[in-house]
Amino acid sequence: MSAILEVTDLRKAYAGVHALDGVSFAVEAGSITGLIGPNGSGKSTAIDCISGFQKLDGGRVVLAGADITGRPAHRIARAGLMRTFQTVRIYERLSLRDNLAVATQQFDAATWVDDFLRTKRYRLAVEAAEVRARTLVELIGLQRYYEAETGILSYGQKKLVALAAALMPHPKIVVLDEPVAGVNPSRIREIEAALQQLNRAGETFLIVEHNVEFITNLCHRVIVLDQGAKLAEGTAAEIHTDQRVLEAYLGMTPEMAAEEMRGAA
Amino acid sequence: MKLLAALVAALAVGALPLLTSSNYIVGVGVSALIFTVAAAALNLVYGFTGLLSFAQLGFWGIGGYVSALTVVTFGGNFWWGVLWAGLINAAVALAIGYPTLRTNRHAFVIMTLTFALLANLIARDWVSLTRGPLGIPNLPPPEAFGHKFSSTREFYWIAWGFSMAMLAFLYALCTSRIGRTLVAIKQNEALVLAQGISPMPYKLTSFALSAAITGAAGGVYSFHLGIIDPLFLDFYYMQTFLIIVIIGGAGSFWGVVGSGVALSALPELLRFSADFRMIIYGLILVVAMFVMPGGVAGWLRERRLQRLRQELR
Repeated sequence: MSAILEVTDLRKAYAGVHALDGVSFAVEAGSITGLIGPNGSGKSTAIDCISGFQKLDGGRVVLAGADITGRPAHRIARAGLMRTFQTVRIYERLSLRDNLAVATQQFDAATWVDDFLRTKRYRLAVEAAEVRARTLVELIGLQRYYEAETGILSYGQKKLVALAAALMPHPKIVVLDEPVAGVNPSRIREIEAALQQLNRAGETFLIVEHNVEFITNLCHRVIVLDQGAKLAEGTAAEIHTDQRVLEAYLGMTPEMAAEEMRGAA
Repeated sequence: MKLLAALVAALAVGALPLLTSSNYIVGVGVSALIFTVAAAALNLVYGFTGLLSFAQLGFWGIGGYVSALTVVTFGGNFWWGVLWAGLINAAVALAIGYPTLRTNRHAFVIMTLTFALLANLIARDWVSLTRGPLGIPNLPPPEAFGHKFSSTREFYWIAWGFSMAMLAFLYALCTSRIGRTLVAIKQNEALVLAQGISPMPYKLTSFALSAAITGAAGGVYSFHLGIIDPLFLDFYYMQTFLIIVIIGGAGSFWGVVGSGVALSALPELLRFSADFRMIIYGLILVVAMFVMPGGVAGWLRERRLQRLRQELR
């Protein structure tokens, strides 16, 4: 396996506070990688910097061999990195179909002229998007809402819409910012299953999340941040027994962690 | 089916001069057509893209002056005047849009307002070009193939042809993927960015097209009045366009077209009580805003959503 996303020595400071103080990690193609850490550890800053929503003070971000450091957000998306947001972002006044269609329109061959005149190229692009959208809607189980405005959906359903939208253009990597925060537990299982299924089909994920159980169940590899620096990295099991992680993040002894693990399993 | 209905409606509107002998009613019809076009152009930039632009008033005024000057000072004809009004306004919109659209939405509102006020000052004070407060009277009637469109009834056909063409263009644009992207930008700009779309070309294009159409509409309207002076840049016009958009429902093409026709006629229908008509007009607007804060189209949409929620329960 090779790294699809490589970040090296990320640095970012706000008014003297080091939000990121030299963070490096890599995401293997075809993996699910978790990025965890206590509040204020720099997780969100890290993915905002990687996806171009914040300017980096230093460091390098390489996506599939191409240096995307410091590019504007829309260029990074076009390069194949799609992301979701912690507070769910969807187009609430567009239908589910349109939400998914907008997410992929920048990636097809149709120009504005094609769009305006509804040329053959435009129709082909729309048909392709429709096929992809139907597949993803089935996966997230929201078929009956396909034509409905997404504003009427529940919070958990909206998170699923954001996930499906991020997957629409067949990105090289999908970065999920707290995909299950505020989602009810039964729905978390569904999201877990959907992500596993997508991963088996070849999708790569980088997931920022607080829900340890969710991360433990899903991730092949987990990176732990604390105070803007990488504290540990390894498989979920390794992380759970790492003394430093337990102290800094989980705030519990190895015995308590083992108990937690049994509860999760 | 929808297209057929629109076509029938367009022809019915076009037949107005055949149905009445009153020049006054036909004149109100001309205003209704032109105001509807200007409101639909504002709807593109405000209702769809979410940019509240007061610059429309400036574009309207510049359009009026450009077309009048094309004929009176530069020896062109009406058609060239309207075309220039559109082109020059598009260029002006690109020039002021590029820097102002880089700021936030609130700053954009203030800057466009400043632009409109500035346009008014120029119309009043650049006397050697605009003739200042005296204005440019006696604009000649448009001519085509040796025929002079000198009466209000004949001018109606020009206004009708112009507005149908502009509305058809705006309809095609608003219902295309481009229109949908504008709505997406209005709703969630960060998400648009995350999906690889750069909002700037969309915002700038919608602003420039809206400016061109508003300017051309101003050009046609100045020839309907037959005179242009700084009053052409009175805030009354901006207010009218904005009210049409808000009552019709910002972001709804048909809502705005419907309210354009209705609200242009309403002050005239209220003439039975000359003293109170503007007060009654104001009251109607206030009540409408209380009952339907999203305009007529927004109100209909709410009802539709409520039904949908019930069905899906």
